[in-house]
Amino acid sequence: MAAGAAGFAAFGPRGARSRADGRIVLDYWEKWTGHEGAAMQAVVDEFNQSQSRILVRYLVTAGIDQKSMIAIAGGDPPDVLGLYNYNIPLFAETGALLPLDEAAGSAMLPPLEAYARAIRPMLSHPDRSGRLRRWACPNTGGTLALYYNKSLFAQVGLDPARPPATLEQLGDFAARLDATTQGGRYSRLGFTPTEPGWWPWAWGAYFGASLTDQPCRRALIDSPEHVAAFRWIRETAERLGPERVNAFGSGWGNSYDSINNAFLAGQVAMVLQGPWLASVINTHNPGLDYGVVPFPVPASIADGQPIGLVESDMLCVPRGARHPDASMEFIAFTQQPLIVEKLSTAHFKNSVLAQVSPEFVAKHPNRGVEVFNAVANSPRGFRAASTRQFPQIRSKMGSLFPKVWNTDEPVEDLLRSTNTEVQSLLDLEYEQKARRGWKGGA
Amino acid sequence: MKLSARAKVDLAGYLWVSPWIAGFLLFMLLPAALSAYYSLTDYPVLEAPIFVGFDNYTRMWREPDFRDAALRTLLYAAAVVPLSTILALVLAALLCGGRRLTGFLRAAIFLPTLVPMVAAGMVWMWLLNGGYGLINQSLALIGVEGPNWLGDGPMVLVSLIIIALWGVGHSVVIYEAAMREVPPSLYEAAALDGMGPVARFWHVTLPMISPAILFNVVTLMIGSLQLFGMPAVLSKSNEGADPRAFTFFTNEMFSQAFLNGQMGYASAMAWVQLLFVLALTGLTFAVSGRLVHYRGG
Repeated sequence: MAAGAAGFAAFGPRGARSRADGRIVLDYWEKWTGHEGAAMQAVVDEFNQSQSRILVRYLVTAGIDQKSMIAIAGGDPPDVLGLYNYNIPLFAETGALLPLDEAAGSAMLPPLEAYARAIRPMLSHPDRSGRLRRWACPNTGGTLALYYNKSLFAQVGLDPARPPATLEQLGDFAARLDATTQGGRYSRLGFTPTEPGWWPWAWGAYFGASLTDQPCRRALIDSPEHVAAFRWIRETAERLGPERVNAFGSGWGNSYDSINNAFLAGQVAMVLQGPWLASVINTHNPGLDYGVVPFPVPASIADGQPIGLVESDMLCVPRGARHPDASMEFIAFTQQPLIVEKLSTAHFKNSVLAQVSPEFVAKHPNRGVEVFNAVANSPRGFRAASTRQFPQIRSKMGSLFPKVWNTDEPVEDLLRSTNTEVQSLLDLEYEQKARRGWKGGA
Repeated sequence: MKLSARAKVDLAGYLWVSPWIAGFLLFMLLPAALSAYYSLTDYPVLEAPIFVGFDNYTRMWREPDFRDAALRTLLYAAAVVPLSTILALVLAALLCGGRRLTGFLRAAIFLPTLVPMVAAGMVWMWLLNGGYGLINQSLALIGVEGPNWLGDGPMVLVSLIIIALWGVGHSVVIYEAAMREVPPSLYEAAALDGMGPVARFWHVTLPMISPAILFNVVTLMIGSLQLFGMPAVLSKSNEGADPRAFTFFTNEMFSQAFLNGQMGYASAMAWVQLLFVLALTGLTFAVSGRLVHYRGG
């Protein structure tokens, strides 16, 4: 049995890579299921119908970054790979991807300037020699902004046409929107940084902070800007009472895509979220009257340019792909403005391109799409730190947040301790790169 | 060449076990040997390994995430092993002593062990939802405010312990079978000596089923120290919760290998885990020498 298994593994079928009609078969691994998967499948179908030489197979892959790493190392990668933007540094640095700027067919790709301003830096990363190379094309992207419930604004006497513009206003408005029951329990919160709490590493950026310096050599978690951000979180906790908020929000964890979503249920009047929330709103509470504005920042750093997190899904060609030219042709197809807009609309997301058509905005199912587009094009749009350590940094910031929220340990001490841990990760990366002969160690 | 009758028998035996031996060599020994080598290297999976000696092992003790995951795993095992053992013994004794509905109760206790882990995780995710979960809703009926099971760091550990106790059915079946094997004459003699039910359980049942207890404790200990799937599933229940609360030793090892590209370091962690489990198992056997009663031995 074991011998049979070994023989099957070594010589068994690997999936057809070409068909009897001569078409090259490309395997495209992507993470999306549900309506997002169906929309991408439609793009794939459109490509397959647009020509007769290449047939793309859309394969949904859970844990795509982990599985593709093993597939590439094992020499049997897909032909096109859909990664997250924060995967690019690790995959690019370890030679797991083909540089798109060198591949035949690179001329078919749009120039970097065609993409939204905050998207552009995600597509490139230095290679071993320190040279900036292009490794990916975005297929969809999302930014974060503040959703607010207009009906609740009106209910407490706030003008729904004048949402908060600064962090100070956010605090004032939130306090007016807070409501309690006779027993002193919350029945509504104006705003809480714990809902949904998916980006605990990003709060500092709204105060002008960065997780690391530009070459990702030095951790900046204990910078004055981060101290200000996490002091604001501590002050919010002290004002609201973390135990009371935690008790009130104990059901929100896995209720995102349901009628019990805190924002949809009116339990939270303002929430930091991405454009995809409109999908949940349209499904579970289509009558909800909401508005979207850039997340407010302290008046001291506001300059009119929206600040917000920008994320993107990336299309890449893995090392060992059998038909890189065909892979490039498919990727180029997906980068056409009409395709990008069609996919983004179906995903309820903003566009990854710098320019959008009037139809895109007019027909988009998220009424705040212009705000999300503006964040993507803002010079103050920020992204995940461009280091392979980012997943671990994110995890450490995820552990930091509840300590700031729930305890009275000094914020500065907590940040200093996390900074030490993050610095040791960056030092390790530097050491490992130096061992492999990277230029300048990193 | 003519083989002797004895050689023929030996050859037939080796041929019969050869598939297992081939599988063991190919899928166990070779990966284990490779993992031992990788544990001495800087190996990011996508690039060739570079020998670094014992750096990965020394690094481990400096890593707060390693210490944190190891401590959480030890706490989990320290709670689950005794609690599961006691609960399983009590349930098995009740099943042995019961007359009505025994078959139904046995099936009900055993059934959870047949539920696929991910499916069970999804069910528990909703049962333990702090606001809408059945458990907190039930507690509210009696005026108790339930905790935020999967949103609060320490309560995540408590939740996982409860889930482990829910899956105690496998041990119960083994204990019940062992209890039914205890010769009735021993109970009769104990009764004649004036022992009550508790004394009979303590002085007759427990010693007689001690080999089964040892087996269960060892397998439970190994399983607890390798906990992985349930926290991995439950961590998806609340992406705003502290991710470390769901990170046990094997989860940390997995993240290092497949998320952070630190296969060498993860291999070192795997070897530390293996050696620790081996040492603990050896210690358990050594300590159990005088406590376990083997019939006829």
